[in-house]
Amino acid sequence: MLKTILRRVLQIIPTLLIVVTFTFILTRMIPGNPAATILGPQASAEDIAKMEIKLGLDKPIWEQYFDYIFAVLQGDFGTSYMYNQPVTDLIASRIPNTLQITLVGLLIALVIGVCIGIYSALHQYSAGDYIFMVLALVGVSMPIFWMGLMLVKFFSVDMGLLPVSGRGDANDIIDVMRHMVLPCFCLSTIPMATFARITRSSMLESIHSDSIKALRARGIKERSVVWKHALKNALPPIVTVLGLQIAGCFTGAILTESIFAWPGMGTMIVNAITNRDYMLIQGVVLFFAIVFMIVNLIVDIVYLIINPRVNYEGGGK
Amino acid sequence: MSMTNVSRRSFIGLAAAGMAAASLGFGVEAPQIALADGEQKLVVSLSSSPSKLDPIHYSGTYESQIIGQVTDRLIEYNDALDTFEPSLATEWTVSDDGVTYVFKIRQGVKFQNGQYVKGRELTAEDVAFSLNRSHQYSDNNRLAMLNVAEVTGDYEVTCTLEGPNASFLTAITDAGNSIVAKEEVDGWGDSFGIHLTGTGAFTLEEFNLDENAILKANPDYFLGKPNIDTLEIVFISDPTQAANKVVAGEVDIATDLMGEAIETVRNSSTAEIWETQALQINYIRFNMRHEAMQDVRVRKAMIEAVDFDAVRSALYQYNDAVAAYLPLPYGSWGYDAQYEELFPGYDPADAMELMKEAGWEKGFDITIYVSNTEERRTLATLLMSYWSVLNINATVNSSEWGTFSDTVCSGNAPVYAMSWSWYPDPYFFLNKLFSSDETSAIGNGAGYVKPEVDDLLTKAFETTDQEVRKAYYGEVIKIVMEDCAGIYYANPTKFYGVNPRVKDFYQRTDGTLRFITPERNTYVE
Repeated sequence: MLKTILRRVLQIIPTLLIVVTFTFILTRMIPGNPAATILGPQASAEDIAKMEIKLGLDKPIWEQYFDYIFAVLQGDFGTSYMYNQPVTDLIASRIPNTLQITLVGLLIALVIGVCIGIYSALHQYSAGDYIFMVLALVGVSMPIFWMGLMLVKFFSVDMGLLPVSGRGDANDIIDVMRHMVLPCFCLSTIPMATFARITRSSMLESIHSDSIKALRARGIKERSVVWKHALKNALPPIVTVLGLQIAGCFTGAILTESIFAWPGMGTMIVNAITNRDYMLIQGVVLFFAIVFMIVNLIVDIVYLIINPRVNYEGGGK
Repeated sequence: MSMTNVSRRSFIGLAAAGMAAASLGFGVEAPQIALADGEQKLVVSLSSSPSKLDPIHYSGTYESQIIGQVTDRLIEYNDALDTFEPSLATEWTVSDDGVTYVFKIRQGVKFQNGQYVKGRELTAEDVAFSLNRSHQYSDNNRLAMLNVAEVTGDYEVTCTLEGPNASFLTAITDAGNSIVAKEEVDGWGDSFGIHLTGTGAFTLEEFNLDENAILKANPDYFLGKPNIDTLEIVFISDPTQAANKVVAGEVDIATDLMGEAIETVRNSSTAEIWETQALQINYIRFNMRHEAMQDVRVRKAMIEAVDFDAVRSALYQYNDAVAAYLPLPYGSWGYDAQYEELFPGYDPADAMELMKEAGWEKGFDITIYVSNTEERRTLATLLMSYWSVLNINATVNSSEWGTFSDTVCSGNAPVYAMSWSWYPDPYFFLNKLFSSDETSAIGNGAGYVKPEVDDLLTKAFETTDQEVRKAYYGEVIKIVMEDCAGIYYANPTKFYGVNPRVKDFYQRTDGTLRFITPERNTYVE
């Protein structure tokens, strides 16, 4: 297993280099001059030229690329054009905010989604099963921005129960949780529906397997059969989906953060792209790439633990 | 035990535990406002998030809104935007040649208690330092006309310009030309913007990127202590959410409402809609380098072929703009309604005749460039339809602002639609839109060049008498209207959602938020 993990870690290095190179090229290919965008419509050509020199955009592209690679290797992701602050500082300041809602959203989705999936599998073709699966379909299909605004309209504007947006007072845990309810629920709907559906199908396969039938025949308690044996057998696809949904939650956070004025990575990347903030775009993409690779690595390791028959090195054991 | 019971308990227990654990685990610092009994708090929302608060580096109006609360300028426009009023300068004189401006600096003004300035008194050196700093280092070159600012007395600063330039007084009302203390600038270095300190009505207590800025009343402010003790400026990019916030009572003033957000507030019982005509014109420009559009008859035909009443009805369903005719907004002191009749009316028959006269009755192909907003895309689609009558085969290129501005600046947009917004001084509209010096900038990317117009523009900014300047600018408007250089079709309306408890507040045409002036001091009931 250690050999496999080491091999996967080493694979990350060339992948990151490719990500950095592609991001660098793609950001330069986006039409539009960052200097002109920063200065706004009233800037003169002279002002724009001065700003280009200040940002280092007057240098040849290859020189900009190697400067950037050299800096990244030293842990320096550059300085944001827009915020005039180190990109690493900006990411460090935003990532806790994004994690705050994405992890809670994912936790809600995982707990409720898996429970619904188990319920549906154990009560296949019942009224509850149909209702939950229709709701899951709706959950997957509903646009986050639309649902967010509808939730705000109902719970905040009409009922006055929850705040419209913002983060609340960090010293008041109740206030923080009230502010988190709507964005977290918004973020949880799509993964929740996905978890419910994948758990249902995986559990159905598991509970109809010969091994589970054998356990039941031996008179093992139903609770133990379901939670200890059937669920364990059904876990690998759920873990795979969990890894994918972590990525999905970060993507969903871009919209959710914009709707709920939540100052996380999502709002920052939107602003960076709009303002052609090359350094920030590159830094955030690189950061996300690192996160995704680590998540994938963890998923693979968990896979190895829960199902030792899995072999990433080819061939079966 | 049935599965149903297990699941229900799992749901509630695990979800609640997860929420609590995650909230505590990731409970990062969020802004908090401690209000004593009787303290007044005002919450204002802006549609974009400021990023740089150092006056010489700011580029957006939303940034100037915060800079404007924390710092002061030598002079300010009054609420009606027709007169300069004293601020840190109590009086000023202009030499006959329009090159030298002498300012008397207000005595007894105190800086806020910054880390380095420690609440000391404002001096003439601070004023000269700030203006020279802006002249030398401003990203947007906001004091390009200044040669040097010098201390010429204990409380006197003399500004010498490169040449006569009547826009100087307007320029120094800009937040980019705010007066700051040298020791704060030197002490904080690149992070001065985050720790902005000035002499203004409010001190910057916290600035959280993309979230909010929290300001506290400056008790030593030269106009007296503001009634508002705590001013929170929150950044909400979605206008619908800004409207929801003001309706729910979480925000007192929601700026820049648009579309359905206007109706949300209008239909609510908890907030009011305030509106004013913005210092902005929406327009379409014809590229003078284009083979067909070099001919004024073609340009006139392209104006006459479009029913702009119908266009405005389609574009502004929330009454968010009024008809415009001239390349100046109504709020500018240079606006002269007598030239409105020069706007060619809707006359498709005459338009076809003009095309025939010009030899373009078979039409031509063009691309209409617009920035990527719904309003502009709809406008371009309507223009395509109207111009098809003239056999003009138009296509639409809609792109993000950076791409759009690049195309226009490089002179590669045959027709483009955009808006222009700046100070009430006509210089900031007419010079930028029609001077031959601006043909590589976005203002005059259409390449309009006319020596007669350049001459009038030069005379207008070399003169300080406002009536004389207005006459020159009137002549410029007359020429460009006769030249059919563009179509100035709408003057947008700016909407604020305001909680009725807000008193003594004024919605200015230029969108500047001012809560304390010599005439008023905003408070909440």
